[in-house]
Amino acid sequence: MKKLIALLACSILLVLAGCSSQNAVESGDQVTIASAATTESSIMAYMLRDMIEHYTDEEVEMINNLGTSTTLHQAMLNGDANISATRYTGTDLTGALGEEPISDPVKALETVKKLTQQRFDQTYFDSYGFENTYAFLVTKDMAEKYNLKTVSDLGKIAKNLQAGVDTSWINREGDGYKGFTKAYGFDFKKVYPMQIGLVYDALQAGKMDVVLGYTTDGRISSYDLVVLKDDKQFFPPYDASPLATDKLLEKKPEVKAAIERLIGQISTDDMQKLNYEADNDLIEPSIVAERFLKKHNYFEQDKGGES
Amino acid sequence: MADMNTFEQFIYYLSENGSYVLILFLQHFLTSIYGVLLAAIVGIPIGVVVAKYGKLAGPIITIANIIQTIPALALLAILMLGMGLGRPTVIVAVFLYALLPIIKNTYTGITNINNDLIDAGKGMGMTRSQVLYMIELPLSLSVIIGGLRIALVVAIGVVAIGAFIGAGGLGDIIIRGTNATNGTAIILAGAIPTALMAVIADIVLSFIERRLDPVKRHKKVATPEVQSLEN
Repeated sequence: MKKLIALLACSILLVLAGCSSQNAVESGDQVTIASAATTESSIMAYMLRDMIEHYTDEEVEMINNLGTSTTLHQAMLNGDANISATRYTGTDLTGALGEEPISDPVKALETVKKLTQQRFDQTYFDSYGFENTYAFLVTKDMAEKYNLKTVSDLGKIAKNLQAGVDTSWINREGDGYKGFTKAYGFDFKKVYPMQIGLVYDALQAGKMDVVLGYTTDGRISSYDLVVLKDDKQFFPPYDASPLATDKLLEKKPEVKAAIERLIGQISTDDMQKLNYEADNDLIEPSIVAERFLKKHNYFEQDKGGES
Repeated sequence: MADMNTFEQFIYYLSENGSYVLILFLQHFLTSIYGVLLAAIVGIPIGVVVAKYGKLAGPIITIANIIQTIPALALLAILMLGMGLGRPTVIVAVFLYALLPIIKNTYTGITNINNDLIDAGKGMGMTRSQVLYMIELPLSLSVIIGGLRIALVVAIGVVAIGAFIGAGGLGDIIIRGTNATNGTAIILAGAIPTALMAVIADIVLSFIERRLDPVKRHKKVATPEVQSLEN
């Protein structure tokens, strides 16, 4: 019987040990990175992990495949994670913070930074350097034929165009299709709601004349599509940044330094290529991230000795 | 990649990402093992107690049965609310699912032992714990291992779903495949190793189960003696 009691005690201890590791995340003893289920988010999460493990002695835990940025936000608040791999200014402004959208990217970032600091004690870093916003795309031939550079240029031929857009965008309040027609003063011949992953192929195959896609999708560069400039700044900015809790950064300033080395280093073009490698060339995000960092030597020379 | 068929893509994927798949495979396997081990530490004593005190058997096995009927996704969601995201939550889910087969098999193993053997032991002056350690547990060991085998195979399936709450493992690859536009090869690269792991675990443990079976073990011991006589 004594052995039984000892065994039971051991198992209870093990369960308790499991619970206490949770608290270690909240207090900042354990670094845990959360990422959303998108390719981009996992690539950035692995990049952060590799950077932190390269510059510090921390063992980094990962929580992958979270549904949306709201889930990411909740995971941070619950103390399940203390770094979010990708947060977008536009999403956080209207989502987590519940504010009105701001169309000026600089002002949007400043507001998000200030408010997350005040309300959640979290540090919103400057952007990685890429933005993942909605943009209207046309094929190169089409852009040359009609001399299209901005979304306004579409106005004169819009009556004859078929557009493919994200299903959730059509009925969205504010920056949805209704808002779009009001801001630009024209509408398309017909608008097809589609799954966002299909619009690039539909455009490439000539089924659509113009589509609404994400600016970091890898197929933009591989299909040689032209991104039309949003000249009326209709879409709110979605600059991507990492986010971490203040507790973690205070306790481990070396983690902050490692994250800061990535700031401003990845352009939208870079991100398109990285996404393309993962989605089309079947290379796992963790390996894509590692190769990119090795190629750039973990950004050692860029900010050496600073902060 | 469009010019390759799914099988070629699958091979190409494994050659490019082999190390990553291997890490996740190990992670997946360890998560399953942790849950099952915890369940064994708790479940085997419960099974022994239940076998000794027959009245407890009904309620406890019913509770374990009820846990078993909760769908894995629902159980994970409920546990997530209390415990948050990540691996510990999945380990607890595996623990709960593994309890039933382990308790039930321990109970069956011990109650099915021939009463004459226990009486013989008692007649020799064995204490109750001696009867347990020297007669009951050794004789029911193969049945208990059978319970662990079922528990481990179930666990491997539960951990695959655990990827939804950020626990890692091969489910990560499957989820990524469902999100990619042309992800059949990626889904296969996650699903095939998972299935393989379950099959191998089943084969290995059923081999151990057979080795520990008292009747067959007796034969194994007997053979070398016969040889020594011939020499």
